[in-house]
Amino acid sequence: MKSVMKILTAALVGTTFLVAPTFAAKVPEGVKLAEDQTFTYRALDEHSSIDPQIVEDVSGSDIIRDLFEGLLNQDANGNLIPGVAESWEASNGNLTYTFKLRKNAKWSNGDPVTAHDFVYAWRRLADPETASPYSWYIELMSLENAKEVLAGEKDPSELGVSAPDDYTLVVNLTAPLPYFAAMTTHASTFPTPQKIIEKYGKEWTKPENIVSNGAYVLTEHVPNERLVRERNPLYWNDAETVIEKVTVLVINDDNTALTRYFAGELDRTEIPSGEYPRLKEEYPDQALSFPRLCSYYYTFNLSDSGPEAFKDKRVRQALSYALDRNIITEQVLKGGQFPAYTFTPAATANFTPPDVEYAKMTQAERDAKAKELMEAAGYNADNPLKFELLYNTSEGHKKIATVAAQMWKQKLGVEATLANQEWKVFLETRSKQDFELARSGWCGDYNEASTFLDLMTTPSGYNDGKFSNAEIDKLMQDARTAADPNANYTKVEEIMAEEMPIIPVYHYTAVFMLDPGLVDSWPVNNVEQNWYSRDLYRVEK
Amino acid sequence: MFRFILRRIAIAIPTMLILIIISFVLIKSAPGGPFTSERPLPEQVLANIEAKYGLDKPYHQQLIDYIVGIVTRGDFGPSFRYKDRTVNDVIAQGFPVTLTYGFWSFIVAVSVGVSLGIIAAIFHNSWIDYFAVGISIGAQVLPNFVMAPILVIIFTLWLNWLPGGGWHGGQWQYIIMPVIALSTSYMASIARIMRSSMLEVLNSNFIRTAKAKGLSWRRIIFKHALKPALLPVITYLGPAFVGMITGSVVIDMYFSTGGIGREFVNSALNRDYSVIMGITILFGFLTISFNLLVDILYAWIDPKIRY
Repeated sequence: MKSVMKILTAALVGTTFLVAPTFAAKVPEGVKLAEDQTFTYRALDEHSSIDPQIVEDVSGSDIIRDLFEGLLNQDANGNLIPGVAESWEASNGNLTYTFKLRKNAKWSNGDPVTAHDFVYAWRRLADPETASPYSWYIELMSLENAKEVLAGEKDPSELGVSAPDDYTLVVNLTAPLPYFAAMTTHASTFPTPQKIIEKYGKEWTKPENIVSNGAYVLTEHVPNERLVRERNPLYWNDAETVIEKVTVLVINDDNTALTRYFAGELDRTEIPSGEYPRLKEEYPDQALSFPRLCSYYYTFNLSDSGPEAFKDKRVRQALSYALDRNIITEQVLKGGQFPAYTFTPAATANFTPPDVEYAKMTQAERDAKAKELMEAAGYNADNPLKFELLYNTSEGHKKIATVAAQMWKQKLGVEATLANQEWKVFLETRSKQDFELARSGWCGDYNEASTFLDLMTTPSGYNDGKFSNAEIDKLMQDARTAADPNANYTKVEEIMAEEMPIIPVYHYTAVFMLDPGLVDSWPVNNVEQNWYSRDLYRVEK
Repeated sequence: MFRFILRRIAIAIPTMLILIIISFVLIKSAPGGPFTSERPLPEQVLANIEAKYGLDKPYHQQLIDYIVGIVTRGDFGPSFRYKDRTVNDVIAQGFPVTLTYGFWSFIVAVSVGVSLGIIAAIFHNSWIDYFAVGISIGAQVLPNFVMAPILVIIFTLWLNWLPGGGWHGGQWQYIIMPVIALSTSYMASIARIMRSSMLEVLNSNFIRTAKAKGLSWRRIIFKHALKPALLPVITYLGPAFVGMITGSVVIDMYFSTGGIGREFVNSALNRDYSVIMGITILFGFLTISFNLLVDILYAWIDPKIRY
């Protein structure tokens, strides 16, 4: 995440003054809206916080996007649209960004939302006193003095953000980020009410205290059970909001949640693993599966502590080739997942996965090639390759690991033993390179290939396999300032297909049941799944 | 008796202290920490967070600070996972929920269990006995993680009588299924203990004497047999009550009740140190208290027992 972020650059690079159309829930002509405009969805776990500068999980961010509004929002396709900022301008060679705020944005207590609220929030994010787990984000945004403020060397007031007047926000950067504006859709950059936070301290997010500026206000919160938000009449675009009330219910178990969906208590819930084909057949208009920005893969430990065998790329290639991804996606997962031959999912914006050679072969060809490579590397029936495949304890991971080990055994005579560890133990083990082959998963932080490929660079903090390739490092470095970085990304994927530092297994899909009335307005094309309740509407069905 | 209680309380204090120290050492020795995640935090950010929560201090200092906080301010510290809440908030929210459904489960388990046991013993070896024993064995072998989804399928999906989960401040329709699911296996154990101890009592000499005197059945059972027959049940009730009011992760998971049982398991998985400690202390306190209560009840029921 130290890397450069390039979100939707095409829309932003080289522009001077951008004014995009505003829209919330645009209900198409002729659509009959349902009487009941409420939306109830399920969350797996209680969110960590609904304080924008503290939140770190997806379920918390989903709530915050309803309660608060930042400078910019995303539309149903993930494109940037105005939020509190009506327009924005990059100057000084992308080192300065100026946002013009709308004058009709209000807090839920009636106070106007001003540029000072953003200045306060951003300083608060960086302030070591706040101890935000997302404070690194302000450094990633390359704000002036962000690093020094985080380290406690400078006062938060020296952060490169200022408000020359109530409705102008000026941001000074240390690196010319062409895509800076898109970074302001992230929840941690949303404004927060200084007076309220100073008055109530940690208690400020309680329903009786909270003041927010989004399309909804928090009306009820019973931790571990439910959180309710209702339409905010003071929201500047309330006229175009349709959904009146949004409720999230915490239901830990997938199957219970599905039962409650069928009992009519929920409008949206995740489909338990393996159930998708059946539900799709029985409820074709409710069972949805669409691509997500996530990859599932196995990481080879290529550090000194890793097995000698894995240092031979023929072994890595052989294991990757012999893995029949179609069986895993079609027979094991059955949720419309995509077999993966590259690290970056095809759904990533502006990214076309290269036609890597092993992806074009048939599985029989891959198997034959794998055998050949394994033989050449010196492993055969008399001298079988042995290693341990480590995954974090979960039925789903176990199934895939079992199938993979079986494939390697049958095709290559490889003896892979399975080992599982509880989540936090697993993370610790993996980050200390105390493994041979380990399960990994990665979801993009933003919709651009570098969110994945940066993991393969030598300095990356998330490069658990300690793979190091000078050419990839250089390509990724150059991509940060390249006019079209995609050529670099393609090249990186090609090198990876040859070097095989990881075995890509599949690309995730979001698989859930959604009430038929809401299917029309659900943003299936927003691969980051940044959805806003104010853009939804329920159709009469 | 009074001295006995005082002595027990005096022992409870060092017991709690040992409990706290052992839990603390165990938690700290588990790999990973509250801020270990798929995306490791940059060093500076982690340092800021640890400084805020006092996790940068030496272990013994953290432990001392923690105990001092509890004793002087009743403050069990902040939750590392739910950053808007303290441990006191977590317990204050979850424990009443668990206490409510645990209390009702206890009432149901005891009243149904004791009645079944008595009936089975009175009609020993008749179809009523077999029926009662059949029910209690059935209830015993059906674990609550099987029971819970079955209840939901029957009462929510088929009959549409009860909501499939949630708590809503403890409205009755939300309590029924958790109580059934939680109480059945306890109910079954109580019924079986009650039945065998009742049988034993009914075959004893003083009951024979009572029968010989021509006392009515009702008088024999309720006046003479019940009290001694209850003793083994009471031994079981102490830990059973604590078990029920400290909650069940299964109940909390299936019925989304938001009780403390799920919180306890989650806090361990999240390495939410202060929440684990807080709930452990609460449970330790309850266990010690109810064991004491059972001992007192014992002396009250059985005049032979003197402390």
